[in-house]
Amino acid sequence: MHDPAKRARFESTVLAHLDAAYNLARWLTGDTPAADDAVQEACLRAFRFFDTHSGTSAKAWFMAVVRNTCFDLLKERNRYDRHESFDDEIHGLPAAERDAPDAAAGRNADAARVRACIAGLPAEYREVIVLRELEEMSYKEISAIVDVPIGTVMSRLSRGRDLLQKTMQDTGARRQS
Amino acid sequence: MNCTRMRQVLDAWIDGELDAATSTEIDRHLAECPACLALKGERGALRRELRANAPRFEAPPALRAAILARIEQTTLPAPAPARHRQWLQTAAFASIAAAVGLVAGLWIERPLPDDSLREHLVASHVASLTDPQRLITVVSTNQHVVKPWLQGKIDFAPVVRDLSADGYTLLGARLDHVGDRQTVAIVYRKRNHVINLFAWRAADYTAEALALQSARGFGMATWADSGLRYAAISDIERTDLEQFARLMQP
Ligand SMILES: [Zn+2]
Repeated sequence: MHDPAKRARFESTVLAHLDAAYNLARWLTGDTPAADDAVQEACLRAFRFFDTHSGTSAKAWFMAVVRNTCFDLLKERNRYDRHESFDDEIHGLPAAERDAPDAAAGRNADAARVRACIAGLPAEYREVIVLRELEEMSYKEISAIVDVPIGTVMSRLSRGRDLLQKTMQDTGARRQS
Repeated sequence: MNCTRMRQVLDAWIDGELDAATSTEIDRHLAECPACLALKGERGALRRELRANAPRFEAPPALRAAILARIEQTTLPAPAPARHRQWLQTAAFASIAAAVGLVAGLWIERPLPDDSLREHLVASHVASLTDPQRLITVVSTNQHVVKPWLQGKIDFAPVVRDLSADGYTLLGARLDHVGDRQTVAIVYRKRNHVINLFAWRAADYTAEALALQSARGFGMATWADSGLRYAAISDIERTDLEQFARLMQP
């Protein structure tokens, strides 16, 4: 028998943020099965440790565990798939998104185009864009998750938005011509 | 403020991360610099496009169950491990500790504010997110349906507003208990983020100013009016939660 109170605390402090965790993992890994694996693994890691700390930054702590687990998983995946370079896997377009521009011919063209543009961002910019624009987290929280100073969060967001704006204009222009 | 400085701080300003003094300087610069104003417009368009077309992927329902099942497995009592096995476990543990250790430091002991009520409210918000059946009893985007439904169930009348013009969609309401108090939760959604607005009777609270705080990673806005207390909880952007709360003020 394990401690049911610990499990209840885990559910209320950590699993409370499961949607946020899954969304981050889905954007970082690029496909559904990998996001599923990463979040499950992250939860097991978090469960072992969450009880030795307590407080109100549980979300940032958990999101950081999810993020690190995603990058571990991508590295692991790369080890078995050597013809793809490390940079391509970590910093390139996630596998499931590579065909997105073709799929964009359908009625969800705009959505597919925007998704492909985000997916095409280098991971360091993609993660801050997802945390800020979709998870709506503060710079302080993002700084804790990504483990960089707030100034770096600021410059990465700025650069990430420049890149996004450019690729979205480029793909939009190509689509119209 | 010049254009170079402006480009450095524009994004932080859009994100509501700058102090009032800097914001005033920015306003002044934007009023006289068309180039920076154009960039601000592009950033606004980018945000609208992202929020309209980039999905916030929701965790599949089976994921939660799978996680709990695996936790159950790993916490079953293991037979006393042989020595080398124990060493392996220690090594595995250490590598995980290294991965997690980087961020463990920021989990600082800071209990929620005095009111244990708030703890209950967050728990109720979380429970409603993880169990969609629990989220809403009366499903309606029309406040003229939700209000009468509530009137038949409770002996107080919380505000129910139509904020659809501001992007907050009313989803419905449910009755809830927080501690031994009868509460009602009015449920809104903005951009795939759920907001639970709790209301309950508190005769000694004729009025209380809007206060914002963070609780277990969620934002919480509280206020009181005419003997009713309110708490809005969500993981939505904090500036939006504040706007939502302001729109609810008398
Ligand atoms: Zn300028």
